[in-house]
Amino acid sequence: MATRETFKCMMCGHVYQESVEPGEDKERSCPKCRSNSIRHLKAAGADAGKDG
Amino acid sequence: MGNFTVTIRKKARYVDPTRCNSCGECAKVCPVVKPDEYQMGLSSRKAIYIPFPQAVPCSYILNMDDCLGNNPIACGKCAEVCEKECINYDDQDELVTREVGAVIVAIGLDVYDPTEMDEYGYTRFENVITSMEFERLICAGGPTGGHFVRPSDRKRPKRIGFIQCVGSRNPEIGRPYCSNICCMNTIKDSLLLADHYPDIECTVFYQDIRAFGKSFEDMFQRSKEAGTRYIRGLPGDITEDPQTRNLTLTVENTTTGALQRHEFDMVILSVGVVPPRDRDKLSSLLTLSKTSDGFFMETHPKLKPVDAPTRGVYFAGFCEAPKDIKDSVCQAGAAASRAGALLNARQIKVEAVTSVINASACKKCGLCAAVCPYGAIKWQKGEVAVVIEAACAGCGSCGATCKFGAITMRHFTDAQYFAQIRAILADKPQEKVFAFACNWCSYAGGDMAGISRMQYPATNRLVRTMCSARVSEEMVLEAFRCGAPVVLVSGCHYADCHYINANRQTVKRVQRLWDRLEKLGIRPERLQLEWISAAEGLKFAKVMRQMEELRQTVTMEEIEHTMQALAPKPKREKKEQEPVEVEA
Repeated sequence: MATRETFKCMMCGHVYQESVEPGEDKERSCPKCRSNSIRHLKAAGADAGKDG
Repeated sequence: MGNFTVTIRKKARYVDPTRCNSCGECAKVCPVVKPDEYQMGLSSRKAIYIPFPQAVPCSYILNMDDCLGNNPIACGKCAEVCEKECINYDDQDELVTREVGAVIVAIGLDVYDPTEMDEYGYTRFENVITSMEFERLICAGGPTGGHFVRPSDRKRPKRIGFIQCVGSRNPEIGRPYCSNICCMNTIKDSLLLADHYPDIECTVFYQDIRAFGKSFEDMFQRSKEAGTRYIRGLPGDITEDPQTRNLTLTVENTTTGALQRHEFDMVILSVGVVPPRDRDKLSSLLTLSKTSDGFFMETHPKLKPVDAPTRGVYFAGFCEAPKDIKDSVCQAGAAASRAGALLNARQIKVEAVTSVINASACKKCGLCAAVCPYGAIKWQKGEVAVVIEAACAGCGSCGATCKFGAITMRHFTDAQYFAQIRAILADKPQEKVFAFACNWCSYAGGDMAGISRMQYPATNRLVRTMCSARVSEEMVLEAFRCGAPVVLVSGCHYADCHYINANRQTVKRVQRLWDRLEKLGIRPERLQLEWISAAEGLKFAKVMRQMEELRQTVTMEEIEHTMQALAPKPKREKKEQEPVEVEA
C-alpha cells in the first residue's frame, strides 16, 4: 500500500509530497531543480506541499 | 566462486519415457477433461497428455493433480490399455545433486493478465483476446488447425483491432517499462493476417511504434503497405453489441485530436510481459537483486550485462530484462562464454581492494554482513564476521558501516582518507568546496567536464573513493571539523552503481547525517548528495557551480560553530575505586 511521504530538496529548499510504495528502490530528484539531495522528512516538522 | 551444489527436483512423470511410444491409447480412455494450458485454454487435454507437440522426450505424462486418484486407484483405465505397460502410479519425485562451477539463470517470463484493465473487457467480452491467444488461433498446430475464427460464433472475422501497450508503459498499474517485443509482434501478426486473409482489415492503436531492430522498420512499412491502419491513441473504452457481439472502441486520435469510434469483429490486446512470478525463491538462493521493475539486476548494464552480482552466476533472456529472441540468443551465447571462461580458468583474479576484518576489534554485531551487497561477509550471531575475499568486490560499504574500526579496506584505508581530508583542508578551508567522488562515475564525470573544457569554479577539492558507500559518517564529520564550509558526496546513479546497490547505503548515511547536523545546530544544507554519471560532465560542472554558490553563503561564524560542535569531547577519566578492606 503506497503512502504519501514528504521530501525536501536540500539544494533549492523545495518541499513536496510523493507516493512511496513499501520497499521501493527509486532514485529521487527534486521536481523543481533536479538535484539528488532529497531529504526524507519525518512526519513531524514536515510542511507538505509548500516551498520551504 | 564457481563452487555450487545444486539440488534438482525431477518431477514424477508416472509414465516411463523409455518405453512409451506415444500411441495415445491412454489419452483416448482418460475420462478427465481439463483446459489445455499450452493452447491458452482454447482447447482441452486429458489428465494424461503430451504437454506440447515439440516436447522432448515425446512421451506422455500423467498430471496427478488432475487424475482421479492413484491411492487408492479410482480409475486406472490408462494403465489397462497401455500395451507397453509403461504407466507407474507409484512413481516418485527424484532429487538429483550436482556439483557445478557456474549457473546460468534463464527462467523466462510471464505474460501480463489484462483482466484488471476493465476498460478493455477481457474475459467480459468473448471476442476480446490476447496476443498469446491469437498466436494459438492462427497456428496450424493450434486448436482450430490454423483457421482463424472468432470465439463467439466460430466465424472468420473481417475487421480486427489491435491495442498496443496493454500492461506496458503504464505506471498506473505498476508497469512503467516497455515490454520490447509487442510492437514487432503485432506488425508480424498483421502481416500474417494479410498473407492468410487479404480481405481482413487490421487497425492498430498505439502510443509509439518501436521498430528499432535490424529490418524492423522495413517490416513496419510492409505492414502499412499491406493495408494495416495505424492510429496513434489508445482506446479508453470498449463496448459490445449484444446482438452481433461486435465491439466498438472509443479512442482519441492524438494525431488529429478527434474523438473517434471504431467497430470491430474482434479485438486483440497486445499484452506485455512481467517478470517470472517464481523469481523470488531463486533470488534468495543465489543472492540476486532486482530492479524496480522486478527483473534481475546485472552487475553492470554496460560492462557486465550478463553477469549476476554473485560471481559464477550469469543471466540469459527475459529474466534480466524484456528482450526479443535475437537478443535472448545473443545473451545466452554471451552467458555460456562467460561461464566457459570461468570453468576453464586455472587461476581466478580477485580484486586487490578487499575488506579485512580485525577479529580482535570485531564486536560481532553483524552490521557489515547486512550491508554487503555481495553477501561476501559470513556472520552468525555471537561470532566474528569473516570476509570471503573471492566474493568481495571492494565497495567499502562494510568499512564505512563498522562503528568499531574493525574493518580495513585494502588500499583505501580510513587512515589514508583522514590524512587526505586533513591535508586538503589544512590551508584556507573556508575557500574550498570539499567533495567525495566515486571512482566509476562521479570522478569520471569530473574528467569529462575537464576534457570537454567546461567552466566551473576552481574551488573544488575531490577525494576519490571506490564507491560513495565507502564514505563513512565520520569522514564527512571530519571534513566539517577541519573547517570545510560545504561537503558533497557524489556517486553513480541508481542503475549504474558498480557495486549492485551499495549506493543505497550512501543515501541512508547522508539522511542520518542531515538529522545529526540539524540536531547540532549545523545547517544540514551544507552537506549535499548528487548522482553524477561518467557522461554527465555538464552536470558535474553545474553541481560544482551550485556548491560554490552554497559555499559563499557559509559564514566564518558558522564554520567556527561547526568546528566547536563537532570537536571531540574529552574523555572522562575513570576514577579509580578505592580498595575496600575486607575484614577476615
